[in-house]
Amino acid sequence: MKIKKRNISTYLILVIFGLYMIFPFISTALYATSTNWSNTLLPKDFTFQWFIELFQDPNFISAVTRSVTLTLITLAVVLVVMVPTVFIVYMYFPRVDNFLKGLVLMPYAIPAVILATGLLRMYSGSAIPMYAVLVGGLFVGSLPFIYQGVRNSLEGIHSRNLMQAAEMLGASKLQAFLKVIVPNIKLGLLITTLLIFSGFFGEFVLTNLLIGGRYETIRIYMMRRMNENGHLASAVMVAYFLLLIVISLVITRITSSKKGVSNSLFKRKQHKQEQVIPPLSLKQLEPAATSEVKSNNEKRRKL
Amino acid sequence: MKTERFNKIWILLIPFFLLAALFLVIPMVLMITSSFTSETTGAFTFGNYHEIFTNPFYYQAFLNSGMISIFSSIVGLALAIIVSCALTNLPEKIQDKLTVYINVAANFAGVPLAFAFIILIGNSGALRLFFEGMNFPLLEGFNLYSWQGLALTYLYFQIPLGILFIYPSLKKIKKEWKEAAFILGASNWVYWRKIGLPNIMPSIAGTFVIMYANGMGTYETAYALTGSNVNLITIRIAALVSGDIYARPIIGSTLAVVFALIMIVILILSQTMLRRVRRDLA
Repeated sequence: MKIKKRNISTYLILVIFGLYMIFPFISTALYATSTNWSNTLLPKDFTFQWFIELFQDPNFISAVTRSVTLTLITLAVVLVVMVPTVFIVYMYFPRVDNFLKGLVLMPYAIPAVILATGLLRMYSGSAIPMYAVLVGGLFVGSLPFIYQGVRNSLEGIHSRNLMQAAEMLGASKLQAFLKVIVPNIKLGLLITTLLIFSGFFGEFVLTNLLIGGRYETIRIYMMRRMNENGHLASAVMVAYFLLLIVISLVITRITSSKKGVSNSLFKRKQHKQEQVIPPLSLKQLEPAATSEVKSNNEKRRKL
Repeated sequence: MKTERFNKIWILLIPFFLLAALFLVIPMVLMITSSFTSETTGAFTFGNYHEIFTNPFYYQAFLNSGMISIFSSIVGLALAIIVSCALTNLPEKIQDKLTVYINVAANFAGVPLAFAFIILIGNSGALRLFFEGMNFPLLEGFNLYSWQGLALTYLYFQIPLGILFIYPSLKKIKKEWKEAAFILGASNWVYWRKIGLPNIMPSIAGTFVIMYANGMGTYETAYALTGSNVNLITIRIAALVSGDIYARPIIGSTLAVVFALIMIVILILSQTMLRRVRRDLA
């Protein structure tokens, strides 16, 4: 009886919260699919005209292209620089690691506006193109996420033991890193990458302050359109959020299948252990078992 | 031999430190030094600090940002705790999936969020006109393009952010503790006051600080919603450093330095406070 009562209040709270969370999405979607929505609770008509107009707008296409280009370039820099750095520091320089833990938190204390102020102070009017400065600024902004993501995966796979094992078996550090560590943290990396991707893709503050109208990314295009044609702006936002939702669905799929994968891996390992190939000791050799030993030997060679 | 190998590995760290120096450390140092230089002569001066502390326009900006952040983080935190409690009562499978969507909602900030609110309750928003047509004064006196609108929109992204941090710590509270307390005769209230709250207190305090910092640093939502109608510190700085007409980058830098100092002091204070809370717990 008591449990049932609690359930009702639970669901009531969650439904109210859910409605509050969902209503901006719905209102944007309704606005994007109506020709005129002014003084009624729901719009009177339904149309795809804004989406058609949107996809025919060359400015929209180039804004998406610009956002994707910027995102991919920055993401490449972040991954190429940060994955080895976090790994090396985690493995060999624990004191630098502690320092890095603090440094990486700096973007929390320094909001993007402050970072942009510093960057403009240093680079505006200098020989370094603002585009490179923007990539650098975004790199700094993503540090907490990439650091935490890579570190958590490294801890999760007990990489110290893995490296020791690999080096004992004769692999060089580089080989061990590329062939043992990277494949093992691939899933964790992918999730972190997707999170950072959606962050970069929707970046506004740094882009607007550092480059502004000269490089119109998707968010800046949204902002401009918002003041011109609301219905079209809503269509942009709907398209944008569909993309974000796809990304987060991919993340859930990966996280849930990650559990699945590690489970099945574990099972496979256990399976192998159960089917341990009997050791080749002469004492155990019985005439009847020689063929078995032979086949086991072959198995071992293949392995 | 060994040290030589380590030296080689050390080289691989250079790109990171180079980037961090170029795009974080040096710009910040430059920002600080330029806040001490005179706009006209370029000589060393405290004049910029004197100006921002005596000009009400600037300290109002700090005050406004602070008030909106405090309001949105206190109310947001309270609501986040309630929703997180409700979440923990759900079946496990649904919980996992919901947290992902809460993550999406926490990212639903800035231009799209501001616009969604404008469509509904802006000056010619559908809901506003609908209520006006029905002579139902629900939204009368509510101005979206003021601090009221900012508080409402800030709440929208503060609540999910709070949940993301509070919810995992609530999950750590074991059902057994509750059962044990009830068997020993504790009421629900006594249980929360003596066992539940002390356990999640550190994470509540930490979450509050994160939400507060998040509110202080918000620029995009406020800019998209109010332009520069509301005098917030982030909007003030951005206008000073990148505005075409009224650009005063040195004053902007000075404000940014003070702003950063406030944020760092808050973060450090919260860290020491947390440590004390934890020591009390131990």
